[in-house]
This record gives sequence, C-alpha cells and structure tokens, in this order.
Amino acid sequence: MVRSTATFRKFFSLSGIIVLLLAALAACSTQQNNANSNTTTQSSPILIGASIANSGDFSADGKPTREGYELWADTINKQGGLLGRQVKLDLVNDNSTPAGVTTAYQKLINVDHVDLTVGPFADLTAVAAARVAHRSGYALIEGSGTAVAVFQQGLDNIFSVSLSAKNYLVSFAEYILSLPAAQRPKTAAYSTQQDPFLGPQLDEARSLLENGGVKTVLNQQYPVETSDYTPYAQKVVASGADLVLLGTFTPDSVAYVKAFKQQHYNPKAIIAASGPDQGDQFTGPIGGTKVAEGIFVPNGGWYADINTFGNTQFQKDYIAKYGGSTADISSDTVQAYSVGQVLTQAVTKIHSIDNAKLIQELHSDSFDTLQGPVKFAADGQNTTAVAFLFQWQNGNLIPVYPQNNAQANPEYPKRTWP
Amino acid sequence: MTLIIEAVVLGILTGSVYALMASGLTLVFGVLDIINIAQGILVIVGAYLSYTLEKYFHIDIILGLLVTIPALFLLGIGIEWAFMRRIKRDRVMISILVTFAVALVIEGLLNFIFTPNYVQLTAPYIDAALPVFGFYLPYIYLFGFLLSVVVLTLLYFLVYRTKFGFGLRASMQDRTAAALIGIDVERVQTVTFGIGVALAAAGGMVFGATNPFNAATSYDLISRLLVIIVLGGMGSLRGALFASLAMLVISDIIDVVWSPVWANVIFFALLIVLLLFRPQGFFGRLEGRKQ
Amino acid sequence: MKIIRTFGLLAVLALLLAFPLLFGDPAVTTIAIFTLLFAGATVAWNIFSGYTGYISLGSAVFYGVGGYALALLCKAWNIQGGYMPFLLLPLVGLIASAFAIPLGWIALRSSRHVFVVITIAMFYIFQLLAFNLPGITNGSDGMFLPSPPWDAAFFNTPFYYVSLIVLLLCFFVSWWVRNSKYGLGLLAIRDDEERALSLGVKTGAYKLVAFAISAFFIGMVGALVNYFIGSLYPAFAFSPAFDITVALMAFLGGVGTLVGPLVGALLLAPLQQYLTVQLQIVGLDLILFGSLLLAVILLLPEGIVPSLRKTWTRWKASRGVRSPVAGSREKEEKALLAKGGREGNG
Repeated sequence: MVRSTATFRKFFSLSGIIVLLLAALAACSTQQNNANSNTTTQSSPILIGASIANSGDFSADGKPTREGYELWADTINKQGGLLGRQVKLDLVNDNSTPAGVTTAYQKLINVDHVDLTVGPFADLTAVAAARVAHRSGYALIEGSGTAVAVFQQGLDNIFSVSLSAKNYLVSFAEYILSLPAAQRPKTAAYSTQQDPFLGPQLDEARSLLENGGVKTVLNQQYPVETSDYTPYAQKVVASGADLVLLGTFTPDSVAYVKAFKQQHYNPKAIIAASGPDQGDQFTGPIGGTKVAEGIFVPNGGWYADINTFGNTQFQKDYIAKYGGSTADISSDTVQAYSVGQVLTQAVTKIHSIDNAKLIQELHSDSFDTLQGPVKFAADGQNTTAVAFLFQWQNGNLIPVYPQNNAQANPEYPKRTWP
Repeated sequence: MTLIIEAVVLGILTGSVYALMASGLTLVFGVLDIINIAQGILVIVGAYLSYTLEKYFHIDIILGLLVTIPALFLLGIGIEWAFMRRIKRDRVMISILVTFAVALVIEGLLNFIFTPNYVQLTAPYIDAALPVFGFYLPYIYLFGFLLSVVVLTLLYFLVYRTKFGFGLRASMQDRTAAALIGIDVERVQTVTFGIGVALAAAGGMVFGATNPFNAATSYDLISRLLVIIVLGGMGSLRGALFASLAMLVISDIIDVVWSPVWANVIFFALLIVLLLFRPQGFFGRLEGRKQ
Repeated sequence: MKIIRTFGLLAVLALLLAFPLLFGDPAVTTIAIFTLLFAGATVAWNIFSGYTGYISLGSAVFYGVGGYALALLCKAWNIQGGYMPFLLLPLVGLIASAFAIPLGWIALRSSRHVFVVITIAMFYIFQLLAFNLPGITNGSDGMFLPSPPWDAAFFNTPFYYVSLIVLLLCFFVSWWVRNSKYGLGLLAIRDDEERALSLGVKTGAYKLVAFAISAFFIGMVGALVNYFIGSLYPAFAFSPAFDITVALMAFLGGVGTLVGPLVGALLLAPLQQYLTVQLQIVGLDLILFGSLLLAVILLLPEGIVPSLRKTWTRWKASRGVRSPVAGSREKEEKALLAKGGREGNG
C-alpha cells in the first residue's frame, strides 16, 4: 500500500499538471482569437481555412493542392482581393487521416475563426471535414472528394467542383464502343485499388463495356496499402487482354507501365484512372514521355490549352510562381484553384461571406472554372462536368475525345513500347 | 504453367534482395539483442542515396553502391554509438522503441529533404528484359540477385572464416563468456550494427530500382522484414535467407494461382500456423531460461 | 496523508469533469477527447501487455473490430445518431472480447518475441479482411456512423463525458487488477513465467483473461473514435500507427505500472495532435516527435513514472533516517500483517 500512496500522489500531481497545461493552451488560443475577432473591419483580411495533406498517405497530392490554393489567393489579391479585402489562407496539416481532418477543421473554425472553409484533398477525408463544417454552418467547397459515398451522407454543405468519380471513365467507354466492330477490342482487363474514388470509375466503365460486348477476362481489386504491384501487373499481362483499364494513382500507374514494358505486353489500349496526368511524377520514373505514348487518362475537365475561364492567366501565374512548364501542372492544383474560383464568384455575387447565404447561392447558381462550367445538385455533385479523354501523343498530353474538344484523333491501337 | 515458373523465378530473385535486408536485421538481433525497427527506413535511405547520386551527380546506380554502402556503414556505426549503446537493460523491448524513434526522425528528414513524392531509380538498363521460359526477365532483377549472392557470400566468409566473425559468433552465443575470453564485445557490436545497415544500402538500391518509393514505404518493408526474420529464426543468417526466398516464392505463387489479395492473408495465416508448431522459426534456437 | 491524497484526487476528478464547461472551445475539447480515448486504450493495453510482459502490437485489431461492430449494429438496428450509440458501447466491448478469446488462445501459445510478430500478422490479416469482405465491411468505400443532431457548441460534450467514463472505468479495472491476487499472478508471469506456472498460477487462463479485458476497452475506444469522426475506413480502422502509438505511450509513462500509461498518453496524445496540425513544414512533426521520444527513452528508460518514483524515493531517503515514507510504511505494514496478506511488487 505504500507504493500506492506515492503512486496516487504522482498521479494527481502529474495529471494536474497536464490539465493545467491543456488549460494554458486553451487560454493562449482564446487570447489569440479575441485579438483576431476584434479587428474585423473592412480592411482586415478574409481568412480562408483548409487542411492540407502535408504528411501521410496523400502527401504527394498535398503539395499540388496547396499550390493551387496559394496561387488562387495570390491572383485574387493582386486583383484587389475579395469584396475589397485581401484573402489570407490558413492552411493546417491533416496527416491524410479523418481524425486529423476532424481536429484540423475544428481548429480552423473554432480557434482560428476562419470566415470560410474549403476542402481537404481526398474522398476519404471529405466527409469528416464536411461534418465538422456542417455543425458550424460552414460551406465546404472542395475539389477532390468525388466518391459516390461522399454525396450520400445527407450533408447540404458539401460542394464538389470536380467531376464525380463514377463518371470519369464514361468517355473512354463511349470512345471504345464507338469504334468499328472490326477494330474494337474483344477483351478487357480491369485492375484497381480498392479505393472509393477509383472503384466506382472502373465499375461504371466495366458495366458500359460489358453491355457493349467487350468481354471481361480479368477483374481484380487489391488493397490500397499495397506497395508491390508486380503480381497484379503480371496478372494483367497474363490475361492477354486487348484493353487494359487501371484504377491507379501515380505510383502504381508507374509500376504497371514499367511491368508492361518489361514484359513486352502491348494491349490495344491502356487507360489509367490517374497517374499519367501527374506530369513528370509519371513520365520521369517510366523513362520519359516517349514511353507514355498512347496511354489514355481521363480528365475531369482541364488541360493546358482548354478554353476555360481564367485558364491563360492561371498558367502564366503558375509558371511565374512555381516555374517549370504547363506539362508539370497537376490536376490537384487545378482542382484547388477551381474551388477558389467558385468561391470568388459566389461571394462576389452575394456581396457577403455569410455561410448560410453562401450555401444557398451555391445550390442555386452556376459558376465557371478552369475545369469548365459548374452547377451543383442538391447533394453537392457537379452536374455539368464532362469527362474528357486524354492521351499522351508525341510528348504531350492532349485531349482526344469528345470530338468538339479534341486536339487530335485518338491514337488506336497503341504503338508498341519504345 | 509458365506463370508458375515465372512466379518461382521472380520469387527467388526478389527474395534474394529481401534476404540481403533481412540478414542485416537478424544479425543485429543475434549479436546485439536489438530489433532494429529502423531497418526499413534505412533501406529507403540507401535507395534515396542511390537516387541522389544518380540524379544529381550522374553516377550509375551500380557504381554508386561503392559510395552508398560505406556511407550507410558509417551511419550505422553512428546510430549504434549514439543510441543503442545507451540501452543497458531490457534491450529487446527498449530497442524497439529507440529504433522506432530513430526511424521517425529519419522519416521526417527524408520527407523534408525529398518531399513525399514517389520516386524510382532509373537507369538505361532497368527496363530491358531477358526473354526466357516464355516470359521476360528484367535485367535488374538478375542483377539484384547476383548482388545478393555476392554480398551474402562475402558475409558468410566474414562471419565464418575471419577472426572478426569468430568474435561475432561468440558474442551471439554468450556475451559474457565472449568478453571473458578477451573479445572486445563492444567493438563487435558496433561493427555488426554498421554491417547490418550497410546491407540495407545494398538492398535499398535494388528495391529502389524495382519499386516506386517514398519515406512511407518503409512501414510495409519493415513488417515484411520482421516476419521474415521471425520465420527464419531470429539471429540465424541461414534462416533469413531461407525465409526470404520461401516467403517471396510462396507469395508469388499464391498471387498467380489464386489471387494477389488473398496471398497476403494466406501468408500471414501460414506464418501463424508455423509459429505455433515451431515457435523458433526454421533455424532459430529455442529460448532457454535466462539466468 | 490519506486525507490530502483523497482530496487531491477528488480535485483532479472535479477538474476533469468540469473541463468542457471551463474550456468550451470545440477545438480544445476535440484534442481532449482524442487524448482521453488514447489514454483509455493505453491503460487497457497495459492491463495485458504491461502486466504480463507480452507486448502486443496488434491492439488495432480490437480497435477496428469495435468500430465496425458499432457501425454494423447501428445499421442493422437502424439506430439514429444521438445518445443511443453510446448505450451500445458495452455490447461493442463484449464483441471485441469475443474476438480476443480465439485470437489470444492462438497467439499466446508462443514465446514473447514471437508473440509480438504474431500480433502484427493478425493485425494485417484483419486489415486485409476489412478490405476484402465488402459484404460485411463495405470494403474501401467505408462505412458511416449516424450523425448526432447536436449543434457545434454542444457536439463534443457528450463525447467528452463518455470518453471520460470509459477511461475512468478502464483505469479502475486496471487498479483493481493490479491490487488483486489475479494481478499478482499476471506480474508473476511477467517476471518469470515458468516459475509462476510451477507455483500453481494458471498462466494460460490468466493471460487470456487479461487479453480479453484489454480488448473490451480497446474495442470501446475504437467505436467511440469512429463515432466521433463519423466515417470508418479499413485503412484507418486498422492502422499500424495506432498500435505503435499506444505501445509508445505506455512505454513512455512506464509500462507495467498503474499510472504510467495514463501519464504517457496524457503527455503524448495532445502533443501529437498539436504537432500534426500546427507544423506546416513537411516532416518536421515527425522529426520533433521522434527526437522527443528518443530523449525520453534514453534518459528515462523505464518510463516517466518509475523514474520519477525513484527520484522521489531517493529524495525522501536523503532527507534523513526517519523519513515520512518509512514512518507510514511501518504503519501500513502493521495493518497488512494484521490483514494476513503479503504485499507483492508495487
């Protein structure tokens, strides 16, 4: 019993210290807030909060997303700001987890008292963020939470500016089925990560293609945590399919391409859900843009030469700020920037940053972005987004379908690996 | 049938690379009683080092080994001197924590220096493949296998034919007795740790050439390596080699014959079953009473 | 002495109970909730791994099972968000324990080192099952828990109190185990299992029971965290980070002690949350966290609580021959002898 005395003494003194520390932390933050909220005059900045995946599973997408938001903020500020006030971004890390996102948005809304919130990267975290925002009545415009489940939660404050996941590969399926019967591929292999963004894409494409007579010879799904994609690539190679549809992000798309090249496997067409659109993160490891020749990738509506709202200015500003070329611009950046554009237009139209009014405006009006026109359905999906089909041709990623946006005809069948 | 042959061949080739990395881990456990959780991230460090040499100094990745292996050897010695040496009691459990903390710091540094973007080692010959048995065998796998064979043979000679190896094996069997007969156990431990990390460098180069990687890939790596050394018997070099080959070959065959997804589940389940019947792994020693 | 001790304890308890009322800021209470839940998980983990010495790196299995159990129950019985899911928590805990029995029986047949790896393997198996049984778990599309209708200012409060109750309950069980004959048996297993067995301690049954108790609370924590966040995905429900963090917190505070895991969690959890959110520079949070861990582990290898206790005892001893510690020890020893028991290892 002696030890217990010392133990409990320690317990109470230590946990007492902890509680005091937490209290001090809370006090400090409250102090800070009082300082912030007391100076909301006309000339004070509008604070826009978002969480960025600086670490964790989505950290590769965190950086381009942040660049997109920051570029938008810079552009807006150069043009005089939003409603005459400068825009200030409050970006915190969310570690790519729903728990991190919950903490992040709680902090943004309750500690930093941001005026507006915009979305984190990823489907897995969008719902968590939207729920936190919803409780406080904040709108959440985001560019990358497009999985089917995101829109089924009964949240009226989530607005996805990008094409819904389900529809990404629809244009590709349409294109394949539009080919004359002699040229059309007979068999198809589907290989995807078990991800809420990728899964629905492949499922939708598969049902369209199967209905159109393309036989499925392989349909495999594997865990997201995989790091060795070789066995899956081998299975695809072994299937000998004419058509390969891959549900991938960047690292696995690279792994597949390398495996196909090593095994001299030349299907008539290859499409990867994402990866080939990530600029040099894709072309670098596979061995150059030559190797990418003929690979298709769907697009939610943006490419370098598209004639959409603000595109020319965006690209100029991007290169000025970050260097490189337009081929390096990632779709994550475009999505984040488009979020900013919708925000700008909505806020300017209603002349206010009140969230309730903003939500109403977002539900009723239509907007224009780098990715094309945007109109939100009741559940937050963007109903006017069209899936474009892109292909690497002669070192450039260009749109090839639908016809009216195409810069060239699709290259089919795919040439053999260089 | 070709598929199965392909699976076996690839399993052996990739298994040899894992054997390289696992040998370092099991050696360190045998001599220092330390489970080096940082081995996974150190492999990645080796891979990044090869990557930097290749990208910025245009040194070929194979030649680059002449730099990365000694560099990581020194890093290993540094880590042992700075951290491992301080652990006096309850080495196994505390070492897990310490090495994990070291791994966290290194992971943070790698993320900071290289960003979390995935990279892969490139070289003109990486994608070239040798047509054999009805499929293509990428040269890089062959090279990795040769490298492993060479390095593991050298290791074997070191451990079984040199005076240092004698000291190493003695320390593995009984640290006190070894010290009593005049072996500088501390020096043996430091050098062994360095060797363990240097092996990670070699494995890292091949791993980086065949897989896209970033700092977070280390988690999957260390889990596999831990499973391998337990399967093979902790402290046994032969066990590490055998277990690596067995694990990769079985995995690859199940991938091909059944489904890659269930391969992992089956693999872990088999591991558990084996351990229940033979808890010391293939070649390990049964734990005796520690006085 | 006793009066001061009890009074101090009550004061701390009062503070903990009043916390959300004093600091209503949801951002702060969010961190507090995660802290309390991590503390609960760590104390629970310690009941098994700390007392028996078998380090388990597979506690995420029960965390995930708890989360999915709650989600599935809510779906099957059509339960709306609100207070009802909280009432399901004991059931969830029992489900987690039910999983623990066969898993523990299999895993505990091996030696300590191998046990660690088996728990890691089991963890991976469960994660893979969660991904690949979409009929049950909805696979990678994830499951969602019902959303409580409370407004922003109030939302965190019920979660806070329920988490506090779970933590207190868990701590109480840990305390009760520690001071019981059963707990003595566990500690004996930790110190020397063969000798304990030869002295008649039913080592197999004892370990399994501890494993099940541990799983009970970890399952509840898993359910609570996921209910709080609202979404449940295989990668996060079965996350290796959880395993490692819980073990680390326990080690930091002093594994095997009563209070150690609590202290470790109370220190580390808020720090981790804070570092993650605050630091913008990629990688800096890991560097700082890892360095901090290194410093503490190397300087205080037994953990905070035992090291502090040693310093305290040394300080007391240095104050003179007739130290108050010795004084009260005599009194208490007399009381114990009168009770007829023998004090075991603290």
